[in-house]
Amino acid sequence: MRPRRLLRPISIPWLVLTALALLGVAAPAIAHEVLHEVERGRATAVRARFHDGESLADLQAEVFSPADGKVPHWKGRTDRNGWLAFVPDVPGKWRVRIVDSTGHGLDTTVEVAAPVSAPGAAGSVTETAPARATSLASVLRPLVGVALIAVIFGFLYLRGRRRAS
Amino acid sequence: MHIPDGFLSPAVTLPAWGAAAPLWYWAVRRNFGTSSTESLPVVGSLTAIAFVVQSIMIPVPGGTSAHLTGVAILAFLYNPGVAFVCESLVLLLQALFFGAGGFTVLGVNALAMGLLGPGAAWLVYRALRPLWPRAAAFAGAYVGIQVATLGVSLVLGLQHRLEGDYMPVPFSVMLPAMMLPSLTVVGVVEGLYTVATLSLLRRARLLDAP
Repeated sequence: MRPRRLLRPISIPWLVLTALALLGVAAPAIAHEVLHEVERGRATAVRARFHDGESLADLQAEVFSPADGKVPHWKGRTDRNGWLAFVPDVPGKWRVRIVDSTGHGLDTTVEVAAPVSAPGAAGSVTETAPARATSLASVLRPLVGVALIAVIFGFLYLRGRRRAS
Repeated sequence: MHIPDGFLSPAVTLPAWGAAAPLWYWAVRRNFGTSSTESLPVVGSLTAIAFVVQSIMIPVPGGTSAHLTGVAILAFLYNPGVAFVCESLVLLLQALFFGAGGFTVLGVNALAMGLLGPGAAWLVYRALRPLWPRAAAFAGAYVGIQVATLGVSLVLGLQHRLEGDYMPVPFSVMLPAMMLPSLTVVGVVEGLYTVATLSLLRRARLLDAP
């Protein structure tokens, strides 16, 4: 006695049609695949730190394109060393803002040279100052300030003495 | 504590300049005339010291740092007007030559750090001095820096409400971030600095300090 067939055999045309239908369903899923590319030297990097060398680390930051001063081109946070990096798409003066919740921060512009489309051409790395210069500035800064104040008060004192005599 | 350029809109900076400018004029006319010539070396020295202490960053809990103002002592020895002018000079030099603070925000910074803070410090000092002069100096300096910090945070909070693009951090985040280090560390150090400086000036017989 032949075993009873539970399913009817599927014909070849039906098999092809089913496969095509499954491919049609899967196609949108492939469209959500995230690809990536790596280009070296395209980003502009900015590091912010206080005059004594302390980094403005893990702070809210925004970058505005010269083409649009209202909507940020990039938003994020500085890294643990006070760096942020963005990929400019037009040349010009890019505005960089770093905001500390204690009211300190940075609001400056970074010049990005053309052409930005050439790989490696726009990879300008901008620091506020080299480390050695920063440490020197942290020593010189109070001295220069004191000298300026001494000059101002010295002038006022001598003028007052001259007028009194 | 300095607010940098770009963090406040003209809606805040212009009224502050409008309020500060006549006060500068009045304070300079009243305190820096010919009759005050003999006090200028001490005033200038204390202003220079204030500049230096404002350059020294004090690490505070939370991974940030703060600095003293060092101008309450000028209010104690002379009056809040002297402190206002001297602190404004310090802020101007910092803005013009050292990139700290800023010119557009000078009015706000000067009113908060140069007038509100030293003014409150002077009031506390005057009230407590008959009881315990050194404690009065400490308490005055402590209260003064709290008032200055609160003033700065209120202005930044106002800016957030007016135009958040300029100051994205809300007042509810900013207030504890600014006040906690000020209440726990900076105020205490400012008080100790003020008491120590007054004591040194008295020992050096430069003035009849408490």
